[in-house]
Amino acid sequence: MGNGLSGEIIQRHADGEREGGFLRTEVDFVLLHDPACALLLADLRELKATIWDKAKILLTVDHFAPPSSVERANIVKDVLSFAEHEEIANCKTYEGICHQLLVEGPWVGPGMVVVGADSHTTTAGALGCVATGMGSTDILYTLVTGRTWLRPPEAVRVDLIGDVPPYVMGKDIALELLGGVGEGGFLNKALEFYDLDGVIPIDDRFAICNMVVEGGAKNGLFHPDEITWSYLKERDGKGRVFPWSFTGEAHYGEAIEIDLSSLTPKLALPHSPALVVDAKEGKGIKIQQVFIGSCTGGRLRDLDKAARVLKGKKVAPGMRLLVTPASQRIYQKAIERGYIQAIVEAGGVILNPSCGPCGGIDKGILGAGEQCLSTSNRNFQGRMGDPSSRVYLASPLTAAASAVKGEVTDPREVLT
Amino acid sequence: MTIPRMISGTAWNLGDHVNTDILHPPAYFSLDEGRVKDGLREGMERLKAGVQGGDSTDGLVIVAGENFGCGSSRETSVRSLRICGVRAVIAHSFARIFYRSLANLGIPPLECNAIQACVQNGDPLLISLTDGFIELGDTRRFPFSPLDPHIERILECGGLIPYLRREQDGV
Repeated sequence: MGNGLSGEIIQRHADGEREGGFLRTEVDFVLLHDPACALLLADLRELKATIWDKAKILLTVDHFAPPSSVERANIVKDVLSFAEHEEIANCKTYEGICHQLLVEGPWVGPGMVVVGADSHTTTAGALGCVATGMGSTDILYTLVTGRTWLRPPEAVRVDLIGDVPPYVMGKDIALELLGGVGEGGFLNKALEFYDLDGVIPIDDRFAICNMVVEGGAKNGLFHPDEITWSYLKERDGKGRVFPWSFTGEAHYGEAIEIDLSSLTPKLALPHSPALVVDAKEGKGIKIQQVFIGSCTGGRLRDLDKAARVLKGKKVAPGMRLLVTPASQRIYQKAIERGYIQAIVEAGGVILNPSCGPCGGIDKGILGAGEQCLSTSNRNFQGRMGDPSSRVYLASPLTAAASAVKGEVTDPREVLT
Repeated sequence: MTIPRMISGTAWNLGDHVNTDILHPPAYFSLDEGRVKDGLREGMERLKAGVQGGDSTDGLVIVAGENFGCGSSRETSVRSLRICGVRAVIAHSFARIFYRSLANLGIPPLECNAIQACVQNGDPLLISLTDGFIELGDTRRFPFSPLDPHIERILECGGLIPYLRREQDGV
């Protein structure tokens, strides 16, 4: 048995109650977004229960942001009126995608247990916490009790060694992992990453932890290191330490090693994030749309990399390039640094920070037979639009290069 | 409302890695039950696996392969099963969020490797939660893996919300 640091974090949050393999576990922070919240409101009202700790919730309106139909407008209205009535201080409307806002705020850090009503809650594990997604009813239980029931996961140690080539991003590392094991290859497990050479920027760590769920993992976690502590210091304006005298000793049932220096840009083919080939093998695949955004690929480093490729160039004739910064804060920084200017001059269209095209929610929905290359996390059939549309997943670098060429393109072709 | 210990239904056979986006396309997210129900019908269409004839959405038991319900945590996908009368889901394995949500909404998630290859759409199934078997057409019996006592407890209560009520009442 090896439950890694994840197991230790869960054990330390367990309150002593146990049923079968499940431990009743104290939760440090809860993430909830508009549609997931809408689904639990009726039950919460019927229970006439109070929320255990209103300061430990982040509620975002990021899916229907802004709403594109009357029903969604009424959902947002209901969610906002709930937030106002319950006096939920951390309620963010149209400020960005929940998974980005969760790590931008001063709430979560190493050693914590974080649950969210969205599968990509795993993103926050990049900060060294156990962060996992659940359905609305599970989250309702946590809102009322401050607890959840968790099984300590079997943990997989992932050693990332060597330097990252300039054409490889966190997304490529995630796709490499998924391609190796297939969908469900990490079912119920914790993936614990050791960036042994300290070379993976925090934004790329978020992208990696974001996508562990596509392999079925319960959570992904980067062992806290200098990159973690410096991110937290900049974010919170103060130093943070591990909440207990953590020795760094954790046990694992299995181990994977990835030599970063030999990685190449990757591409997930329709209709699975685990159907992975080298991006260069996609040469010749025509695409009509490129989407750079989402909780996987819309961070500042993603926009930086995309802008570098696009600067001074034009997207291919007929290409629709849609770019969504993951939060308002990222958007503003991208403006200050000239990324937005470069993207717009190249013919890209900027959408407001929100989930948008990734889940086929609004803006950029695909028509019959259309092909899109996306920096998001899922390319399941019909997710982004018509069931006959096809979605390829790749890094922001590959996405930008492909937007310029009008077909799937290994970014090494355009990087100088 | 507790879950009956004997469950009968008509088999709806699905494959491996059926994700929530195809089972219940995201455009069908809604608070309207009719719309949520339509989403599952659309999913059946896309999976080309709907049960033929009559009202196919009464008393169903889904039989699936590996990693059933992978993808999104949108609970509408599981709620659609409840609305459409899915009484149990049998799979080789389940994606974890979907597994939890099934139990939370009072639909038993049962792990069984052998049955899927033997089941045709529309076959009658009888499940005994107490004795741990699934009966296919009066003749063949397949055991399913024992449920974890925590999941068993949630199902006994009829889902996580009644479980929470009992926990709060100190029962």
